[in-house]
Amino acid sequence: MEGETDEEQQRFSYQQRLKAAVHYTVGRLCEEVAADKEMQFSKQTIAAISEVTFRQCENFAKDLEMFARHAKRSTINTEDVKLLARRSNSLLKHITEKNEEIAQFNLERKAKKKKKLEDSREPPDAGVEESKN
Amino acid sequence: MTEVMAHRDTPDSEPTTRTLLRRVLDTADPRTPRLPRSARAGSPSLHSSQRRRSLRSAQRTLLETPSSRRLSSQTKTTARQCSYGANAIGKWSHVQASRHLEEQTPRTLLKNILLTAPESSVVMPESVVKPEPAPQLVQPSRQESSRGSLELQLPELEPPITLAPGLLALGRRKQKLRLSVFQQGMDQELALSQEPRGNADASSLTSSLNLTFATPLQPQSVQRPGLARKPPSRRPVDVGAFLQDLQDTSLALAPLGLGKPAQPLVERAEEVNALDMGFPNINSSVSGEGGVKPLEDRVGEEAEERMEEGLSISEMKEATGVQRSAKAEEHEGHTEVQEAEGSQGAIEAMEPEGSSGDEDTSGGTATPELASNTPEFLQARRLHQFLEPTPPPSAADLCSEPLGPLSARLPPRARTIGPRPHKDPYKAGLSHYVKLFSFCAKMPMEKKTLEMVEKCMDKYFQHLCDDLEVFAAHAGRKTVKPEDLELLMRRQGLVTDQVSLYVLVERHLPLEYRQLLIPCAFSGNSVFPAR
Repeated sequence: MEGETDEEQQRFSYQQRLKAAVHYTVGRLCEEVAADKEMQFSKQTIAAISEVTFRQCENFAKDLEMFARHAKRSTINTEDVKLLARRSNSLLKHITEKNEEIAQFNLERKAKKKKKLEDSREPPDAGVEESKN
Repeated sequence: MTEVMAHRDTPDSEPTTRTLLRRVLDTADPRTPRLPRSARAGSPSLHSSQRRRSLRSAQRTLLETPSSRRLSSQTKTTARQCSYGANAIGKWSHVQASRHLEEQTPRTLLKNILLTAPESSVVMPESVVKPEPAPQLVQPSRQESSRGSLELQLPELEPPITLAPGLLALGRRKQKLRLSVFQQGMDQELALSQEPRGNADASSLTSSLNLTFATPLQPQSVQRPGLARKPPSRRPVDVGAFLQDLQDTSLALAPLGLGKPAQPLVERAEEVNALDMGFPNINSSVSGEGGVKPLEDRVGEEAEERMEEGLSISEMKEATGVQRSAKAEEHEGHTEVQEAEGSQGAIEAMEPEGSSGDEDTSGGTATPELASNTPEFLQARRLHQFLEPTPPPSAADLCSEPLGPLSARLPPRARTIGPRPHKDPYKAGLSHYVKLFSFCAKMPMEKKTLEMVEKCMDKYFQHLCDDLEVFAAHAGRKTVKPEDLELLMRRQGLVTDQVSLYVLVERHLPLEYRQLLIPCAFSGNSVFPAR
């Protein structure tokens, strides 16, 4: 019983720290936007935005888990993320582009790795051959 | 009587209610002996109901006659008046006496009608102005005497003359007042309204303030707002949309290459269009009508109706800008009812056909997305509509066949369907929900609100179907399954960790669905012992 409450407290403090982190990030972003648009953000606004962001993150997490389970997977995929973001067209486009970028990057990395492997294989072979020779 | 007729003929070519009522009053008076009011005062209340009934019918006929008067049925009316006069003698004597009583008498009613009726005849208004100042002073005596001696033109004009200024002012309100007067005469149960009425009569006689007469009537209509019947608010048929669809489908029928029935229709439609384009005047409607009539002869009766509507509407639509006011109203009034029965019946009758045909043609679409089905559906529907009622003019045999089942189908449909839907048919389902919504609200709602609600529902369902499709695709499937819906409900927050789908099913759906949707709910009555 005490352990539970302790756990709860721990979780709560953890949550609070997360919230604080979010709040800080939101504050920074709002500062940037304020500098850009030459408009001031009040503290309450920033607090409200950070609260909303936090709650929305919770929702996103639940949805992503649901989507993954719906697709009979146990890992959350980029497809799930895309499904989540489909409502907002611009966001969806952005995510898709990023996804493609990342995919491409991964491919490139894979290609590099393969090359490296081959290279690393070759030199030893070459080395072996050379040594042989 | 001949005197009455004679002088009635002379003043105006268009006899008005005024003159008719004046005649009525004339006929009654010579026979009624002038008794002191007090003697007559006692009797009116006794036979009031009987009098009312008969006088009501008299009033009705009197008010009806203006419409029939132009058919030179003057003798008829006078004869009727004579017969009513015979009945009315005793009553009207009472009536005159009881003018100031609470009871609303026909005489007062008729007088009020006279007073409020506008001067429609040409002669009357001119002479109205002249003797106006003179008789105002002498009114009370004049009133009495004038009733007896209205054969001459001058005295006849006087009583209405005195109230002319007020009448001209009341001209606008004539309709409403007349109706309220008539209806009050019908009800005859107002005790409150009698007094102001009696006062009004007296005041109108004595003073030159015709406005006083007007004002008591106004509060009466206000007191009984329900009596003031508004003209039935008939929305004009949205002909534009209908015609557009007509043209689209008639033009689309040709490329579809459906065969004989389509082409004569297309030709006809093109004919009509050509006619309309050629004569962008009022004349075109006449020529169009001429064009419609020969078509009518060819086609059968019910088809004829609908084609006439369709073509007349199409020609209307083409020349809308020019002749809308003049001819369109006629046509609309004519076709409104017919449309309501005919085309609507056709549409509704064809809808199940169209939908079944549509399902066949569209194949297995995974999601029931209305948007994709609508153009096909519309075409299929129009196709059926025009296929059946438009047999080719050459083949009379084909005429009978489609018309047979159609006519059988139409009469029951015509009764059930009233106003024509003003929106596309694929919104018919939405309108159903909107009606449900307005019913559940238990409050009167504006039309704008309902339109907004319909828009929102449309978007909601679109979103819903999109989501379902995406969910199904996400799971690598092509068919939407209940799991997808459950996911959707989860996202909506209806299904949570505490509340499962089955709980919702049990809560909200009727019991029959429960055994359908929940696999184990009905699976076994014998639970113990598990075998």
